Amino acid sequence: MASSSMRRSLLAASFVLILFFVSSASAAAPANLVISKVDRKIDLVSQVVRTTAQIKVENKGMEPASEVLLAVSSEQAKSMAYLRVTTTEGRGKSKAPGVVLSVKPAEGEGPANVTFFSVELPKPLGKGEAVALDIYSAYSHLLKPFPVEIGQSDVQLVLFHDSAYYLSPYPVKVQTTAMRVPSFRVESFTKVEPSKITDGEIKYGPYENIPALTYSPITAHFENNEPFAVVKDLEREIEISHWGNIYITEKYRLTHAGARHKGGFSRFDYQSKPSASGAASFRHLLARLPSRAHSVYYRDEIGNISTSHLRSDLRKTELELEPRYPLFGGWQVTFTIGYGVPLQDFVFKAEDGRRFLNITFGSPFVNVVVENLVVKVVLPEGSTETTALIPFHAEQTLKTKYTYLDTVGRTVIELTKKNVIPEHNVNFQVYYRFNSIALLAEPLLLVAGFFAFFAACIAYTHFDFSISKSSSSYQARQLREEVLDAVQRIQKVMNERAVASEKLEASLRDLARTGNVAASKAARKETDVKLKETAKDLKAILDSLPASSRSTVLAKVDTLMQKEREMQEKLQQKHTITVEAYEKKLSSKEIDSRVAPYQQKLTALKQEVSELLNLLDD
Amino acid sequence: MASSVISITSPVSESFYPILAVFLLTVGLVSTASFFIYEVTTSKFNRSIIREVATGGLASFFLGFGSLFLLLWTGVSI
Repeated sequence: MASSSMRRSLLAASFVLILFFVSSASAAAPANLVISKVDRKIDLVSQVVRTTAQIKVENKGMEPASEVLLAVSSEQAKSMAYLRVTTTEGRGKSKAPGVVLSVKPAEGEGPANVTFFSVELPKPLGKGEAVALDIYSAYSHLLKPFPVEIGQSDVQLVLFHDSAYYLSPYPVKVQTTAMRVPSFRVESFTKVEPSKITDGEIKYGPYENIPALTYSPITAHFENNEPFAVVKDLEREIEISHWGNIYITEKYRLTHAGARHKGGFSRFDYQSKPSASGAASFRHLLARLPSRAHSVYYRDEIGNISTSHLRSDLRKTELELEPRYPLFGGWQVTFTIGYGVPLQDFVFKAEDGRRFLNITFGSPFVNVVVENLVVKVVLPEGSTETTALIPFHAEQTLKTKYTYLDTVGRTVIELTKKNVIPEHNVNFQVYYRFNSIALLAEPLLLVAGFFAFFAACIAYTHFDFSISKSSSSYQARQLREEVLDAVQRIQKVMNERAVASEKLEASLRDLARTGNVAASKAARKETDVKLKETAKDLKAILDSLPASSRSTVLAKVDTLMQKEREMQEKLQQKHTITVEAYEKKLSSKEIDSRVAPYQQKLTALKQEVSELLNLLDD
Repeated sequence: MASSVISITSPVSESFYPILAVFLLTVGLVSTASFFIYEVTTSKFNRSIIREVATGGLASFFLGFGSLFLLLWTGVSI
């Protein structure tokens, strides 16, 4: 270990030299700018290193400068996740707090170990003018655990490498650097006078008149037990349904990226001595979900994981979940969380008629680094003209996905980004065109499905699927069908006749009430016509009955028809007598006594007919 | 920005999903039953194709929309 750190400092020393030589060559490239003051703060409290540098740039040259170069050592540039430069003009008076400036990687030659970024100034810096810039940058995976492997009872120590001087392509007049560490336990730090440590803060400087691109390596070795929760792969799927919900599914592969665990794991020690055991491990994760999130689930391949808590109030929903086991260095766990949010909270209609989704980009978990983030926005079927608007660079691809009740598939915008830190948790937009009529595609598909089933049933009952048309069982079935059909037709005609006689009886009742003989006669005539017609129909049906079945059915039908005819005759007689009686203006008593015998017979016959009809059903 | 954009809501309020699902499915199943009763009680020769298609169509309309709202009610992402 000692030899490796020796080698590292040797390497660093040569690095300084190289930089010095190259800097003289490339000094001509940037304009004659000078940084008059640098105030740098490095936050080493969590797993993400965040630096803020407030610099003041002055133009000492003749020509105006339109851009300022920033230098970052290549090692740091590799793990740089976020860089934002803002300008603070006008010293806090009326001006807005900060204008975000555009930053792009600078091309051109430079020392191999340094990566340059060029910052475009809002207006060129004239001779003798100065501008104040705030440079905020964040790095993941910059803290290296040392020792690399620790036991269960050990604390986690990490190394941080940087330069004591602010790395800049311009000479720096005055500068200070402060590093905030999470604990008072600092094993060592490189001293570059004047430097000191106070209250969890390591201070370097002030240093004066440092030439351009001076790199003086420093190393801080300190305790950091913050959870190094790194999500190796995260797949967020945001599925929009215009029926009222957005469903979000997130698949995680979570690791502990701190010092690797060494030796065995004692659950007893872990439970009984929580302060002394597994200091760098973590067992909880907190996710801040949208305020109206519902149907939250947390599961993995095995099934539901019950160790989670959901708290929600009007402003936020918090999901605290525990993986199936505490995570020590190098351990990993996979799980899936999912939730639904109301459509109206995240999807809007823009002025030009397009619709857009406005939702956060990164993981809802607090303080996690996502190495590989894939955000899939699944738009409803029938969406066109899809564009995504993200405030930083991310790869975009268009895909198609088929889920429930899809015909042509849904458009999916897939956004891929590496090295995502909480700073990337900002809203992004996906614009698309969608016609509300397309909403009907899903129910109509279901309707069509059901209708196909009914159509199949209709077809099945209408077509004859038997193979052998000459077998006796087939013929018997065919015959039965025909007889059944005839019987049904007879029943139908009988019903018609019954309705007709009912009418006649109703006219008799009317007669008794009003004494209107003419109306009753008319009704009689009508009924007679009807009966005559139906009698013809009945005869036709009887003739059409297949000969072989006559013996069995005919007897029944014959008796029925006989009785029915008898009944109709009795009714007619009753009618005739009643009408006559009325014409003779007989007293009602006399009418009753004359009609009574017919009435009795009629009731008996009616009973018989209905019984016969029922019998025929069997 | 908030003033010029309108948030998009579902064409049918979500609180109606359960009642719609139950009602539409009930009507759908009743008409399905009447369809099949008609199929088995009438003989092959005097069945009316129009009546069959009409009952079947009605049943499938109600069953289709009913099952849509059932899916939405149960949280299937469609």
